[in-house]
Amino acid sequence: MKVIKAIYNFIVGDMVILIGVMLAVTILALINNVPALAPLRGLSGPFMVIAVLASLVATLSREAFSPTR
Amino acid sequence: MQWVVATASFLASAVEFVEAFTIVLVVGVTVNWRSALLGALAAAATLALLVATLGTALVQWVPIDALRMVIGTLLLLFGLKWLKNAIMRYAGLKARHDEQAIYEETRAELRARGEVEASSSRFDLFGFLLSYKSVLLEGLEVAFIVITFGLSAASSTVSRSSGLASAAFGALAAGLLVILVGAIVRVPLAKVPENTLKFVVGIMLTTFGTFWLGEGFGVEWPLSDAFLLILIAIYLGASFLLTVWLKRVKKQQQAQAIEKQAVPATEYSKEVSR
Repeated sequence: MKVIKAIYNFIVGDMVILIGVMLAVTILALINNVPALAPLRGLSGPFMVIAVLASLVATLSREAFSPTR
Repeated sequence: MQWVVATASFLASAVEFVEAFTIVLVVGVTVNWRSALLGALAAAATLALLVATLGTALVQWVPIDALRMVIGTLLLLFGLKWLKNAIMRYAGLKARHDEQAIYEETRAELRARGEVEASSSRFDLFGFLLSYKSVLLEGLEVAFIVITFGLSAASSTVSRSSGLASAAFGALAAGLLVILVGAIVRVPLAKVPENTLKFVVGIMLTTFGTFWLGEGFGVEWPLSDAFLLILIAIYLGASFLLTVWLKRVKKQQQAQAIEKQAVPATEYSKEVSR
Protein backbone atom coordinates (compact mmCIF):
# COMPACT_ATOMS: atom_id res chain seq x y z
CA MET A 1 0.00 0.00 0.00
CA LYS A 2 2.83 2.37 0.89
CA VAL A 3 4.49 1.69 -2.48
CA ILE A 4 1.27 2.43 -4.38
CA LYS A 5 0.80 5.66 -2.42
CA ALA A 6 4.41 6.68 -3.09
CA ILE A 7 3.99 6.07 -6.84
CA TYR A 8 0.69 7.97 -6.84
CA ASN A 9 2.26 10.92 -5.01
CA PHE A 10 5.26 10.88 -7.31
CA ILE A 11 3.32 10.84 -10.58
CA VAL A 12 0.34 13.01 -9.76
CA GLY A 13 -0.53 13.37 -6.07
CA ASP A 14 -3.91 14.86 -6.96
CA MET A 15 -7.05 12.75 -7.22
CA VAL A 16 -8.99 15.33 -9.27
CA ILE A 17 -6.29 15.51 -11.95
CA LEU A 18 -5.95 11.73 -12.01
CA ILE A 19 -9.70 11.14 -12.36
CA GLY A 20 -10.02 13.92 -14.98
CA VAL A 21 -7.23 12.59 -17.18
CA MET A 22 -8.31 8.96 -16.82
CA LEU A 23 -11.91 9.87 -17.64
CA ALA A 24 -10.76 11.75 -20.75
CA VAL A 25 -8.61 8.79 -21.85
CA THR A 26 -11.50 6.34 -21.31
CA ILE A 27 -13.96 8.48 -23.29
CA LEU A 28 -11.42 8.92 -26.12
CA ALA A 29 -10.84 5.16 -26.19
CA LEU A 30 -14.61 4.58 -26.40
CA ILE A 31 -15.01 7.14 -29.20
CA ASN A 32 -12.20 5.45 -31.11
CA ASN A 33 -13.30 1.86 -30.61
CA VAL A 34 -17.11 1.84 -30.52
CA PRO A 35 -18.50 2.02 -34.09
CA ALA A 36 -21.68 3.75 -32.91
CA LEU A 37 -19.56 6.65 -31.60
CA ALA A 38 -17.58 6.99 -34.84
CA PRO A 39 -19.32 10.28 -35.84
CA LEU A 40 -17.79 11.88 -32.72
CA ARG A 41 -14.22 11.12 -33.79
CA GLY A 42 -13.81 14.56 -35.34
CA LEU A 43 -14.48 16.12 -31.95
CA SER A 44 -11.73 14.15 -30.14
CA GLY A 45 -9.20 17.02 -30.33
CA PRO A 46 -11.43 19.78 -28.89
CA PHE A 47 -12.77 17.31 -26.33
CA MET A 48 -9.24 16.58 -25.11
CA VAL A 49 -8.38 20.26 -24.66
CA ILE A 50 -11.67 20.91 -22.83
CA ALA A 51 -11.12 17.87 -20.60
CA VAL A 52 -7.63 19.06 -19.64
CA LEU A 53 -8.87 22.57 -18.86
CA ALA A 54 -11.83 21.19 -16.89
CA SER A 55 -9.47 19.04 -14.79
CA LEU A 56 -7.29 22.08 -14.07
CA VAL A 57 -10.28 24.26 -13.12
CA ALA A 58 -11.73 21.48 -10.93
CA THR A 59 -8.52 20.85 -8.98
CA LEU A 60 -7.86 24.57 -8.48
CA SER A 61 -11.45 25.16 -7.33
CA ARG A 62 -11.13 22.35 -4.84
CA GLU A 63 -7.92 23.90 -3.45
CA ALA A 64 -9.37 27.42 -3.37
CA PHE A 65 -12.56 26.48 -1.51
CA SER A 66 -11.08 23.76 0.69
CA PRO A 67 -11.92 24.42 4.38
CA THR A 68 -8.62 22.82 5.42
CA ARG A 69 -6.44 25.20 3.39
CA MET B 1 19.33 18.06 -31.68
CA GLN B 2 15.64 18.61 -30.81
CA TRP B 3 15.78 22.05 -29.21
CA VAL B 4 12.22 22.15 -27.82
CA VAL B 5 12.82 18.87 -26.01
CA ALA B 6 16.25 20.01 -24.78
CA THR B 7 14.84 23.36 -23.54
CA ALA B 8 11.92 21.79 -21.65
CA SER B 9 14.26 19.26 -20.08
CA PHE B 10 16.75 22.04 -19.21
CA LEU B 11 14.11 24.15 -17.45
CA ALA B 12 12.58 21.23 -15.54
CA SER B 13 16.01 20.01 -14.46
CA ALA B 14 17.21 23.49 -13.47
CA VAL B 15 14.34 23.90 -10.98
CA GLU B 16 14.88 20.51 -9.38
CA PHE B 17 18.68 20.84 -9.29
CA VAL B 18 18.40 24.23 -7.57
CA GLU B 19 16.30 22.54 -4.86
CA ALA B 20 18.75 19.64 -4.56
CA PHE B 21 21.74 22.02 -4.53
CA THR B 22 20.46 23.71 -1.35
CA ILE B 23 20.73 20.44 0.61
CA VAL B 24 24.11 19.54 -0.94
CA LEU B 25 25.34 23.00 0.06
CA VAL B 26 24.20 22.54 3.67
CA VAL B 27 25.92 19.14 3.85
CA GLY B 28 29.06 20.64 2.27
CA VAL B 29 29.21 23.54 4.70
CA THR B 30 28.12 21.66 7.82
CA VAL B 31 29.50 18.12 7.40
CA ASN B 32 32.14 18.30 4.66
CA TRP B 33 32.38 18.84 0.92
CA ARG B 34 33.82 15.41 0.20
CA SER B 35 30.75 13.56 1.51
CA ALA B 36 28.35 16.09 -0.05
CA LEU B 37 29.89 15.87 -3.53
CA LEU B 38 30.29 12.08 -3.43
CA GLY B 39 26.60 11.74 -2.47
CA ALA B 40 25.52 14.10 -5.27
CA LEU B 41 27.70 12.31 -7.85
CA ALA B 42 26.42 8.88 -6.80
CA ALA B 43 22.81 10.09 -7.14
CA ALA B 44 23.54 11.64 -10.55
CA ALA B 45 25.07 8.32 -11.69
CA THR B 46 21.97 6.42 -10.43
CA LEU B 47 19.69 8.78 -12.37
CA ALA B 48 21.80 8.51 -15.54
CA LEU B 49 21.62 4.71 -15.27
CA LEU B 50 17.84 4.87 -14.86
CA VAL B 51 17.41 7.09 -17.94
CA ALA B 52 19.79 4.96 -20.00
CA THR B 53 18.22 1.59 -19.15
CA LEU B 54 14.54 2.54 -19.00
CA GLY B 55 14.83 4.93 -21.95
CA THR B 56 16.62 2.41 -24.16
CA ALA B 57 14.17 -0.35 -23.26
CA LEU B 58 11.22 1.86 -24.21
CA VAL B 59 12.88 2.95 -27.47
CA GLN B 60 13.63 -0.62 -28.48
CA TRP B 61 10.59 -2.61 -27.47
CA VAL B 62 7.44 -0.52 -27.12
CA PRO B 63 5.44 0.27 -30.30
CA ILE B 64 5.16 3.98 -31.08
CA ASP B 65 1.35 4.26 -30.83
CA ALA B 66 1.19 2.58 -27.43
CA LEU B 67 4.16 4.65 -26.29
CA ARG B 68 2.47 7.89 -27.36
CA MET B 69 -0.62 7.11 -25.31
CA VAL B 70 1.33 6.15 -22.19
CA ILE B 71 3.75 9.05 -22.56
CA GLY B 72 0.99 11.52 -23.40
CA THR B 73 -0.91 10.48 -20.26
CA LEU B 74 2.21 10.74 -18.07
CA LEU B 75 3.13 14.14 -19.54
CA LEU B 76 -0.41 15.38 -18.87
CA LEU B 77 -0.34 14.14 -15.27
CA PHE B 78 3.07 15.68 -14.58
CA GLY B 79 2.23 18.87 -16.51
CA LEU B 80 -1.10 19.51 -14.78
CA LYS B 81 0.52 18.93 -11.38
CA TRP B 82 3.30 21.46 -12.11
CA LEU B 83 0.85 23.94 -13.64
CA LYS B 84 -1.59 23.69 -10.72
CA ASN B 85 1.16 24.31 -8.14
CA ALA B 86 2.60 27.23 -10.14
CA ILE B 87 -0.83 28.89 -10.54
CA MET B 88 -1.55 28.43 -6.83
CA ARG B 89 1.78 30.05 -5.96
CA TYR B 90 1.12 32.97 -8.33
CA ALA B 91 -2.31 33.46 -6.75
CA GLY B 92 -0.86 33.34 -3.24
CA LEU B 93 -2.74 30.18 -2.25
CA LYS B 94 0.49 28.27 -1.71
CA ALA B 95 3.80 29.42 -0.25
CA ARG B 96 6.63 29.88 -2.72
CA HIS B 97 9.69 27.67 -2.40
CA ASP B 98 12.11 29.46 -0.09
CA GLU B 99 15.63 28.08 -0.61
CA GLN B 100 17.07 30.27 2.17
CA ALA B 101 14.52 28.94 4.68
CA ILE B 102 15.15 25.32 3.63
CA TYR B 103 18.91 25.95 3.97
CA GLU B 104 18.54 27.37 7.50
CA GLU B 105 16.13 24.61 8.55
CA THR B 106 18.36 21.76 7.33
CA ARG B 107 21.41 23.42 8.86
CA ALA B 108 19.64 23.68 12.22
CA GLU B 109 18.71 19.98 11.99
CA LEU B 110 22.33 19.04 11.32
CA ARG B 111 23.54 21.24 14.17
CA ALA B 112 21.04 19.58 16.50
CA ARG B 113 22.57 16.28 15.46
CA GLY B 114 25.99 17.48 16.57
CA GLU B 115 27.43 18.55 13.21
CA VAL B 116 28.84 22.05 13.64
CA GLU B 117 31.17 23.17 10.88
CA ALA B 118 33.01 21.23 8.18
CA SER B 119 36.29 20.74 10.03
CA SER B 120 37.46 17.34 8.77
CA SER B 121 37.54 15.98 5.23
CA ARG B 122 36.85 12.39 6.42
CA PHE B 123 34.06 10.57 4.62
CA ASP B 124 30.85 10.90 6.60
CA LEU B 125 28.13 8.33 5.81
CA PHE B 126 25.29 10.50 7.12
CA GLY B 127 26.37 13.48 5.00
CA PHE B 128 26.81 11.24 1.96
CA LEU B 129 23.34 9.69 2.36
CA LEU B 130 21.63 13.03 2.97
CA SER B 131 23.20 14.49 -0.17
CA TYR B 132 22.47 11.31 -2.18
CA LYS B 133 18.84 11.21 -1.06
CA SER B 134 18.13 14.86 -1.84
CA VAL B 135 19.64 14.73 -5.34
CA LEU B 136 17.99 11.38 -6.10
CA LEU B 137 14.52 12.44 -4.93
CA GLU B 138 14.62 15.80 -6.72
CA GLY B 139 16.14 14.21 -9.80
CA LEU B 140 13.75 11.28 -10.07
CA GLU B 141 10.93 13.39 -11.45
CA VAL B 142 13.40 15.00 -13.86
CA ALA B 143 14.54 11.55 -14.99
CA PHE B 144 10.95 10.65 -15.84
CA ILE B 145 10.41 13.95 -17.62
CA VAL B 146 13.64 13.41 -19.59
CA ILE B 147 12.48 9.94 -20.64
CA THR B 148 8.87 10.83 -21.47
CA PHE B 149 9.63 14.14 -23.13
CA GLY B 150 12.59 12.72 -25.01
CA LEU B 151 10.55 9.86 -26.40
CA SER B 152 7.42 11.86 -27.12
CA ALA B 153 8.55 14.08 -29.98
CA ALA B 154 9.54 11.29 -32.32
CA SER B 155 8.07 9.01 -34.90
CA SER B 156 10.85 6.47 -35.45
CA THR B 157 13.33 4.53 -33.34
CA VAL B 158 16.21 6.71 -34.59
CA SER B 159 14.45 10.01 -33.78
CA ARG B 160 13.32 8.59 -30.43
CA SER B 161 16.97 7.94 -29.52
CA SER B 162 17.83 11.45 -30.67
CA GLY B 163 14.96 12.89 -28.60
CA LEU B 164 16.18 11.02 -25.53
CA ALA B 165 19.72 12.31 -26.15
CA SER B 166 18.41 15.90 -26.53
CA ALA B 167 16.45 15.64 -23.27
CA ALA B 168 19.47 14.16 -21.47
CA PHE B 169 21.64 16.96 -22.89
CA GLY B 170 19.20 19.58 -21.53
CA ALA B 171 19.24 17.97 -18.07
CA LEU B 172 23.04 17.69 -18.06
CA ALA B 173 23.45 21.34 -19.09
CA ALA B 174 21.10 22.44 -16.30
CA GLY B 175 22.98 20.30 -13.76
CA LEU B 176 26.35 21.71 -14.80
CA LEU B 177 25.03 25.28 -14.76
CA VAL B 178 23.57 24.92 -11.25
CA ILE B 179 26.80 23.31 -9.96
CA LEU B 180 28.93 26.05 -11.59
CA VAL B 181 26.85 28.95 -10.29
CA GLY B 182 26.52 27.26 -6.90
CA ALA B 183 30.28 26.68 -6.66
CA ILE B 184 30.90 30.36 -7.41
CA VAL B 185 28.32 31.96 -5.10
CA ARG B 186 28.31 29.28 -2.34
CA VAL B 187 24.87 30.38 -1.07
CA PRO B 188 21.38 28.96 -1.71
CA LEU B 189 20.22 29.96 -5.19
CA ALA B 190 17.24 31.88 -3.84
CA LYS B 191 17.09 34.36 -6.72
CA VAL B 192 16.30 31.73 -9.36
CA PRO B 193 12.65 32.36 -10.43
CA GLU B 194 11.62 28.81 -9.55
CA ASN B 195 7.88 29.35 -9.87
CA THR B 196 8.19 30.91 -13.32
CA LEU B 197 10.36 28.00 -14.47
CA LYS B 198 7.84 25.52 -13.04
CA PHE B 199 5.01 27.36 -14.77
CA VAL B 200 6.80 27.28 -18.15
CA VAL B 201 7.60 23.58 -17.75
CA GLY B 202 4.00 22.89 -16.69
CA ILE B 203 2.69 24.62 -19.83
CA MET B 204 5.14 22.70 -22.05
CA LEU B 205 4.40 19.30 -20.50
CA THR B 206 0.63 19.85 -20.64
CA THR B 207 0.83 21.04 -24.25
CA PHE B 208 2.92 18.11 -25.44
CA GLY B 209 0.90 15.68 -23.32
CA THR B 210 -2.36 16.82 -24.95
CA PHE B 211 -0.79 16.72 -28.41
CA TRP B 212 0.76 13.26 -28.14
CA LEU B 213 -2.17 11.68 -26.34
CA GLY B 214 -4.38 13.01 -29.13
CA GLU B 215 -2.01 11.61 -31.78
CA GLY B 216 -2.09 8.27 -29.98
CA PHE B 217 -5.87 8.25 -30.39
CA GLY B 218 -5.61 9.19 -34.06
CA VAL B 219 -6.57 12.87 -33.65
CA GLU B 220 -5.53 14.87 -36.71
CA TRP B 221 -4.66 18.28 -35.30
CA PRO B 222 -5.28 21.20 -37.66
CA LEU B 223 -2.00 22.77 -38.95
CA SER B 224 -0.16 19.60 -37.85
CA ASP B 225 2.79 20.35 -35.47
CA ALA B 226 2.07 24.10 -35.61
CA PHE B 227 -1.02 23.37 -33.51
CA LEU B 228 1.37 23.05 -30.55
CA LEU B 229 1.68 26.86 -30.57
CA ILE B 230 -2.12 27.20 -30.47
CA LEU B 231 -2.27 24.77 -27.55
CA ILE B 232 0.41 26.80 -25.72
CA ALA B 233 -1.64 29.97 -26.29
CA ILE B 234 -4.83 28.29 -25.01
CA TYR B 235 -3.15 27.00 -21.85
CA LEU B 236 -1.32 30.30 -21.22
CA GLY B 237 -4.57 32.25 -21.55
CA ALA B 238 -6.46 29.83 -19.31
CA SER B 239 -3.70 29.94 -16.69
CA PHE B 240 -3.73 33.74 -16.69
CA LEU B 241 -7.52 33.83 -16.22
CA LEU B 242 -7.36 31.19 -13.48
CA THR B 243 -4.64 33.12 -11.61
CA VAL B 244 -6.70 36.34 -11.73
CA TRP B 245 -9.81 34.45 -10.55
CA LEU B 246 -7.96 32.73 -7.69
CA LYS B 247 -6.44 36.04 -6.53
CA ARG B 248 -9.97 37.48 -6.39
CA VAL B 249 -11.24 34.44 -4.46
CA LYS B 250 -8.40 34.81 -1.97
CA LYS B 251 -9.17 38.50 -1.42
CA GLN B 252 -12.85 37.73 -0.86
CA GLN B 253 -12.00 34.97 1.61
CA GLN B 254 -9.66 37.32 3.50
CA ALA B 255 -12.34 40.03 3.63
CA GLN B 256 -14.90 37.53 4.94
CA ALA B 257 -12.45 36.32 7.60
CA ILE B 258 -11.85 39.91 8.76
CA GLU B 259 -15.62 40.53 8.91
CA LYS B 260 -16.13 37.38 10.98
CA GLN B 261 -13.45 38.51 13.43
CA ALA B 262 -14.92 42.01 13.61
CA VAL B 263 -18.52 40.92 14.39
CA PRO B 264 -17.83 39.17 17.74
CA ALA B 265 -15.65 42.11 18.81
CA THR B 266 -18.50 44.57 18.13
CA GLU B 267 -20.98 42.38 20.03
CA TYR B 268 -18.57 42.19 22.97
CA SER B 269 -18.19 45.99 23.08
CA LYS B 270 -22.02 46.34 23.05
CA GLU B 271 -22.26 43.94 26.00
CA VAL B 272 -19.65 45.95 27.91
CA SER B 273 -21.41 49.28 27.29
CA ARG B 274 -24.71 47.83 28.64
